[in-house]
Amino acid sequence: MRGPAGQLLMYGVLTIAGAFFAVPIVWALGEAVGVTAVHWLLNSLMYSGGGVVLAVGLCVPAGYGLATHDFPGRRPLLILTILLMLIPPSALVLPLFLEANAAHLLSSPLALILPYGLFPFGVYLTYLYFHNARFGALLESARIDGCNEWQAFRQVAVPLSLPVSALIVFLNFIASWTNFFLPWVMYWSFDAINRYPLALGIALQLRNSQTTGFYTAGLQLHTSSPPGQVALLVLVSGAPVVVVLVLAQRWIGSGQLGGMFR
Amino acid sequence: MRPRKSGYLFVAPYVVLLLVAGIYPMGYTLTLALTSFTAHFSGVTNFVKTWQNPTFLPAVGHICLFLVIWLTALVVLVVGLSLMLHSLDHRIGAAYRFLFYLPAALAGSASVMLWLFMLQPGLSPWSFVLNWFGLSTLGAVLAGGHLAAIFAVIAFWSGAGSWIVVMHGALATIPTEVLELAKVDGAGPWRTALTIKLPLIRRWIGYMLIGAFAAGTQLFAEPQLISEATGGVLNQTWSPNQVAYNLSFHLGNFNYAAAVSVDLLAVALLSAVIILRRSGLFALDT
Repeated sequence: MRGPAGQLLMYGVLTIAGAFFAVPIVWALGEAVGVTAVHWLLNSLMYSGGGVVLAVGLCVPAGYGLATHDFPGRRPLLILTILLMLIPPSALVLPLFLEANAAHLLSSPLALILPYGLFPFGVYLTYLYFHNARFGALLESARIDGCNEWQAFRQVAVPLSLPVSALIVFLNFIASWTNFFLPWVMYWSFDAINRYPLALGIALQLRNSQTTGFYTAGLQLHTSSPPGQVALLVLVSGAPVVVVLVLAQRWIGSGQLGGMFR
Repeated sequence: MRPRKSGYLFVAPYVVLLLVAGIYPMGYTLTLALTSFTAHFSGVTNFVKTWQNPTFLPAVGHICLFLVIWLTALVVLVVGLSLMLHSLDHRIGAAYRFLFYLPAALAGSASVMLWLFMLQPGLSPWSFVLNWFGLSTLGAVLAGGHLAAIFAVIAFWSGAGSWIVVMHGALATIPTEVLELAKVDGAGPWRTALTIKLPLIRRWIGYMLIGAFAAGTQLFAEPQLISEATGGVLNQTWSPNQVAYNLSFHLGNFNYAAAVSVDLLAVALLSAVIILRRSGLFALDT
């Protein structure tokens, strides 16, 4: 095994190589859609990425706890989770805005990442995933072998949770990436253009639309950039989701999750 | 499952976020809705005032029209397409499903942006359809009476794919023996679809309808962006959520906005409770 210095050197070389291969492509993207748009893209990646990490980090232990431990309040929590997951997220947007406004957190990344990280559906999926006799038996034998609760979780549950975690990543990423209403209320009224996620950046294209007086019959669509560039932006906005879709499918595997539909 | 207090530790982080980003905002909004600008308890005053607001009832009317068109399209087209795909070879069905799902990948505003292009005669590949309806400018297309249908089309384009995937999961739960028996009994694909598959996925269709209803009442992005496209002159308060948004952002009245928000939240919660209790889709056993 190479030592730490060797590891560092290897990663250094790989990074430089990665940059060599990737930079021209990123540059082309920047030229095509403009620097601001690339900024928006990176913002969206940060907000959605942060949300996904938070979601998985919270959902997997919570679903595991609900599925394998009995404690007072367990059933109410489960019911509350299901109720919340059946409510459309947009119902919470204005309440979240009012709360963020009161907390002076408007136009902060947290105003988006925290709501994105709340994913009751993910908790429910994980609960279904771990709530079966086979897994229960696995857990029991781990406990008999002397594992404490944390070790059992870390060494038995976590490695097995890959398919459901991948599903959570996929669903949560799409939900936050395509979200419009929440970023709109959190960010729009502040001209912090550089902090817009991509969804808002696209909306910005419509800012310069005009009507001829009050007669909309003469309305023509005017966008801030030429239609070709806007079209490209639209396609770019869809690309990461397709990438996540393809990656997630590798890990999900219909077999393990097929049994979840009753 | 044995009684273990350590369960609290596993659910704790989630519960904290649940309180911060779920329960507290709802509670705070409810409080705002029940108090006046000067923070005195005002009961249902805000609700009554907002219901009397001249923009509110028309917005409700718009949404109802939108819902009728959209939900009909969902039931007929999503179920119809899903049944058709189910009768196809597995891989062909999967390819179609992927294609139908693709629009869902676009960021919320991207779909509307794309459709604004689709609806512009002259630029759109569907121009011949628009001209067939006698619409020669974008302004004519976006005339007030058309909007409910236009939003339904956009919402369907972006959302149908996800529901088709859900229906696919539902159809996959039908045991193959049942389908084979039907074939042996001489039922053709149409009869099988209508008399056997359809009744078996009833619960899922119900779930889709109620879920889509709840989501549809919340419509915001589409009308708001169309409003932006007209320079903010038109349709700023087409949907109830826009009314609420307008109340907070342009009129600065958070109490009124909270009242409208609570109205919509109540509809969403009611729908959630109905799905939970009536559909029998959720495993609540210990």
